[in-house]
Amino acid sequence: MRADIVGSLEAVTRVRGVRGAMVVSAEEGLVVAESSMEGIDGAAVAALMAGVVARLGRATEAAGRTAPAFVHLQAEGGALLAVPAPRDLLVVAVTDAEVNVGLVRLELRQAAEQLA
Amino acid sequence: MRVIEPWVAEPLQRFLSESSARLVLLTTASGQVVAQHGFTRALDVMSASALGAAIMASTEELGRLTASGASRALSHQGPSRGLFLSAFDLPQGRWIGLVVYDRDSSLGLVRLFFDRLVQELLAVAPKETPAREVLAADFENELNASLRSLFGR
Amino acid sequence: MSNEDIRVLTSQLAGDPSSLVFLPLGEALRRRGQLEAAEKIVVAGLTRYPELAEAHDLLARVLSDGGDLERAFDEWDIALRLDDRHAGAHKGIGFLYYVAGDLPQALDHLEAALAADPGAEGVAAAVARVREALAAPAGPSGPADSTRPPLLATPAPPPGAADSPTVFAGLEGAQDGLLLLDGNGLRLGGGLTAPDGSAVGDAVAAHLAGVFRDASRATRLLSLGSWTSVAAETADANLFLCAPAPDSLLLLVRDNSVPIGRLALQAERASEAARRWLERPA
Repeated sequence: MRADIVGSLEAVTRVRGVRGAMVVSAEEGLVVAESSMEGIDGAAVAALMAGVVARLGRATEAAGRTAPAFVHLQAEGGALLAVPAPRDLLVVAVTDAEVNVGLVRLELRQAAEQLA
Repeated sequence: MRVIEPWVAEPLQRFLSESSARLVLLTTASGQVVAQHGFTRALDVMSASALGAAIMASTEELGRLTASGASRALSHQGPSRGLFLSAFDLPQGRWIGLVVYDRDSSLGLVRLFFDRLVQELLAVAPKETPAREVLAADFENELNASLRSLFGR
Repeated sequence: MSNEDIRVLTSQLAGDPSSLVFLPLGEALRRRGQLEAAEKIVVAGLTRYPELAEAHDLLARVLSDGGDLERAFDEWDIALRLDDRHAGAHKGIGFLYYVAGDLPQALDHLEAALAADPGAEGVAAAVARVREALAAPAGPSGPADSTRPPLLATPAPPPGAADSPTVFAGLEGAQDGLLLLDGNGLRLGGGLTAPDGSAVGDAVAAHLAGVFRDASRATRLLSLGSWTSVAAETADANLFLCAPAPDSLLLLVRDNSVPIGRLALQAERASEAARRWLERPA
């Protein structure tokens, strides 16, 4: 199963501009599996992005809306994208600032579906 | 936040700010309190420091018995709060950190920033600490003095 | 295009939803006046190809045909951001400026369209007409056609508002769906209601301060530079968060028929309004 998870993440990392991808436990902010995360602090990505998604989820809940199905945090030097997956997991990608966000989102969603 | 050793203050303040931890206790491996945040009663500090030291000692012994190696960190997730316990080495000896967090934080964040706290403490800790023989009476006096200091009395 | 051609294109798209055949299909439906179907096809295509200028241009034409000029403007604007030489987008926006009476802007865009595509139908004639209008003696500018509403008009402020200008006056969602807050999570302006009608602006503002802090911390610690925006999709809404000024946050919420790319554009306008409001003399 772990090989399948890594395989799904490799499809994400094949998108041009994606620097790494991982599966994260949403509540704990810990890495479950990762792919191509060279030069990236995976534990930090997991913890920090899980925190952002959780916080945003509380904001959408306060707004009477459902939890986020996709989150895109854009910065000057890169971006973080996340899609929730079953079993309280998140699929997260770290990208360059310029990237085809639509394509990354599609691949993240497919990876998330394969985690069911 | 209260600290016995002044050089602990800044790194610990940064840890508290970044991790959003609710309670923090830093002790020596023998349970002597070095710093605390969030505790309101001296009794709680004493109990937590004793229990933390005991848990780490038990875990290390268990690791030795089962040849699984010493465990430096433990975590426990309760219904609304989580607990993180970790031992680390400074020139002053082995210390233990006990962190309690709620949904404003996570185990991942606590671990991330605790690792940074340890690195910062290593960087600022005085390099030479004269060894002292600790007598039982001295220990109790020191503990009481520490507690008074930690609660601003 | 015949019914049979449309059936073939539809079947091709059904067989391969990621195909670009949604473009000719959407155009065919638009030409037949089936605007609702055309819009659905193009919007679905844009979820897969959000950076395809052609798709935004097509959607703009569908919207323009349906009279939704403000959304058409947004889509052409997006097309130009993706391809600043897109003839169709320049032509479309030029037309909208002409309708709104802004002849200098209209001319700029129509000339750009002509430069990008000298053979574009009707553009040369449109350029000549606008030049004529500009050269005419000063008077009411713009066409005499008053049947179309002015584009991007700012409605008159509500009675009693003259002394306390609202932050987002004149913008879509000024009372609901646009929120300005300070770094401490206190609402400065705008409002937000939940689907059940309850006012939730203050509660959401409080939570968003935490999002602001977490986003800043994440990008800082991961050496990604300063954060610029957070976009999120839920099952029933799209959200866009940005910082129009230091220590302030702007939230845009729309139902999820509004693509995130459009939210970003609306957020820019709302940010300008927020900055003007924040900088006004006390």
